[in-house]
Amino acid sequence: MDLRLTEAQEILKKAARDFLTTECPKTLIRELEKSEKGYSPELWKKMAELGWMGLVIPEAYEGIGYSFFDLTVLLEEVGRNILPGPLIPTIISSFSIIEGGTEEQKKEYLPKISSGDLILTLGLLEAEGSFDASGISLKAVAKGEDFTLNGTKLFVEMAHVADYIICVTRTKDGTSPDKGITLFLVDAKSPGIKHTVIPTIGADKLCEVRFENVTVPKKNMLGKLDAGWPIVEMVLRKGAVAKCAESVGAMQTCVEMTVAYSKERVQYERPIGAFQALQHLMANMWTSMQTGRYLVYQAAWLESEGQPSAKEVSLAKAYINEVYKDVAQWAIRLHGGIATSYDHDIPLYYRRSLAASTSFGGTDYHRELVAEKIGLK
Amino acid sequence: MDFELTTEEKAHRKDFFDFCKELERKKPASFVGMEAVFEIDECWEFHRYCVSEFAKKGWLSLAWPAEYGGSGTMMDKVLFAEARGYHGIPGVDIFGIEMLAPTLLQAASESIKKEFLPPIARGEVMWCELWSEPNAGSDLATLSTTAIKKGDEYIINGQKTWNTGAHRADWGFGVFKTDPAGRKHHNITFLLLDMKTPGITVRPIPYINGDAPFAEVYLDDVHVPAKNIVGQENEGWAIVNLLAGFERSGIAEIMGMYRELEELVEFCNKTKRNGKPLSKDPLIRNRVAELACDLEAAKAIAYRIADLQNRNEMALMDAAAAKIFYSELGKRFAFVSTDIAGPYGQVKYSPWAPVHGSWEKKFQECFVSIISMGTNEIQRNIIAWYGLGLPRMK
Repeated sequence: MDLRLTEAQEILKKAARDFLTTECPKTLIRELEKSEKGYSPELWKKMAELGWMGLVIPEAYEGIGYSFFDLTVLLEEVGRNILPGPLIPTIISSFSIIEGGTEEQKKEYLPKISSGDLILTLGLLEAEGSFDASGISLKAVAKGEDFTLNGTKLFVEMAHVADYIICVTRTKDGTSPDKGITLFLVDAKSPGIKHTVIPTIGADKLCEVRFENVTVPKKNMLGKLDAGWPIVEMVLRKGAVAKCAESVGAMQTCVEMTVAYSKERVQYERPIGAFQALQHLMANMWTSMQTGRYLVYQAAWLESEGQPSAKEVSLAKAYINEVYKDVAQWAIRLHGGIATSYDHDIPLYYRRSLAASTSFGGTDYHRELVAEKIGLK
Repeated sequence: MDFELTTEEKAHRKDFFDFCKELERKKPASFVGMEAVFEIDECWEFHRYCVSEFAKKGWLSLAWPAEYGGSGTMMDKVLFAEARGYHGIPGVDIFGIEMLAPTLLQAASESIKKEFLPPIARGEVMWCELWSEPNAGSDLATLSTTAIKKGDEYIINGQKTWNTGAHRADWGFGVFKTDPAGRKHHNITFLLLDMKTPGITVRPIPYINGDAPFAEVYLDDVHVPAKNIVGQENEGWAIVNLLAGFERSGIAEIMGMYRELEELVEFCNKTKRNGKPLSKDPLIRNRVAELACDLEAAKAIAYRIADLQNRNEMALMDAAAAKIFYSELGKRFAFVSTDIAGPYGQVKYSPWAPVHGSWEKKFQECFVSIISMGTNEIQRNIIAWYGLGLPRMK
């Protein structure tokens, strides 16, 4: 057992922190929230040069070949600073190609993802907002060498700028909802696709995507016909851990900003950080963050090592969902009125705490998975 | 980053678990909750039996230097604690082994080490802690029990309280005012004393459940050899800090809660209410799963502490956070379990009691770990002052 980051991970962390501090200031984040695209193509290009999109893509496909755990180290910094844009959807969706794609598909798409030339996203949720296979009803029907897709996906992150959507479709209605799920790499510019940005608290450009008789060539099928659900489960696990890592980084900022402010802000002739009532709240925030951090490390490590991780991922996501919201709201309260202003940085985190908690499975969804895994019949 | 144990550690872990599992079969039925050791005679006997068994294995001196009879690593010590915690096995005197031994190893003279460490390793001497007083709790340095030097002895007068197991212990380590006129923190001395010394009166204190895990200790002209000192005269506060600084990960308590979680799941699976098992109730599933999440978080930070200790690094802030977290989780386990059990949650020592009445017991006993070893409020001060660098209270 050695729970330290490796030297290479420390270097990655430091480089990411320095890069984001200079290249992604809070003024840019606020601009992007209001922009149509929701990300900066210029910044995207620089990130590609740093190898971020190709971090977990094997070297054989022009990636960096780092581990999933390494990725979570990077994402903690992403969360620490906040980085609007399609980084997480692209990387997490790329796992469906890395682990589920054919050799031909890997050769075609992975180098382009790595170079920053392809933005990917995941089309999973539908009207029910369910992360269960039973929530998938978007139909894909075989027609010669093609499939025709009809239906609506919701909360598809950055779909309005994506080049490809990994679309989770129903190809067969059967006895068990998870049989009959097929994944397709759908060109986001295909005729019949319409997207609308849904206004959300994180301004993260979650889209409604309508598929009307959208033709997808059979060669764009990811994995096997009717047997795509295990790929979705893998992507959901990795996505949940990614969101957890991002949330831990965000909590770190909430704690640091609050502690720093409480040392400066003077009331009753002393810094408010000298009051025990506030000290204990900050100690609680730190405790939530630190317990969460090692819980996430454990899930990320298991997932990275290819060991069974479903239980630990759900334990972590259910925990982090709640503590991130709690830490962020305490950060606002300890700052007082000042942090209720739109122009303050803390609310950027508070708003994202809700967005993060819904992404890749909310608290009750993951607690139910935990309930099954601990043996509740 | 690597959460994997080495092949050797895995083998040791298995040895510890197998041995504790065997011991569990011999546990008296009255043994419910760890404080039972001090409360019930046959549980104290069982504790002593486990102590002697562990001593034979050399497990009471894990991670000590070989010259004092030690073997194994810090990691072994953690894995041993996991096994004891999960199987609810006593046999490790927390005062002698967890607190005093590492303190002596670091701060005592060679003659004190030679005299006191071997009997601890052999499991022959049980210790208690003589720290708190009626008017000195969290602010321990205001203590008023005096130890006045006369020739080659100290003469102790005063009263100590909340002394866990003092009515069972052979020896005690304590702090006493040796220079009543001296300035705070530089007038205290750390001494070791035989609890059978004339002038010592020990009275058990009934805890909220009527049992007696603690005692109060009256010291009336108690003569202690001056050689029984740890550190320097009037500089005992440094020893207090040293001892308090042997951060505990809480892994034994945490593993105990893993066992409680299994028992709670089993109870929910087999207990029917309104015609269906409790385990089918989505609200109950949610509450139990929430406990499981928090428990895993507690274990994760405990491993973080173990990992730091294994490299002899400081874990002050993490240890404070872990202590707050696992002790308050213990309270929530008690609250949730007793609530899920409905009217049965309140039952003790009876066929009607779920899981031998351990939930009712924990509902009352949970304060022990919340308040002792630095209250959780003191732990929050530690995080705020030493970790976050916030201004210290004067």
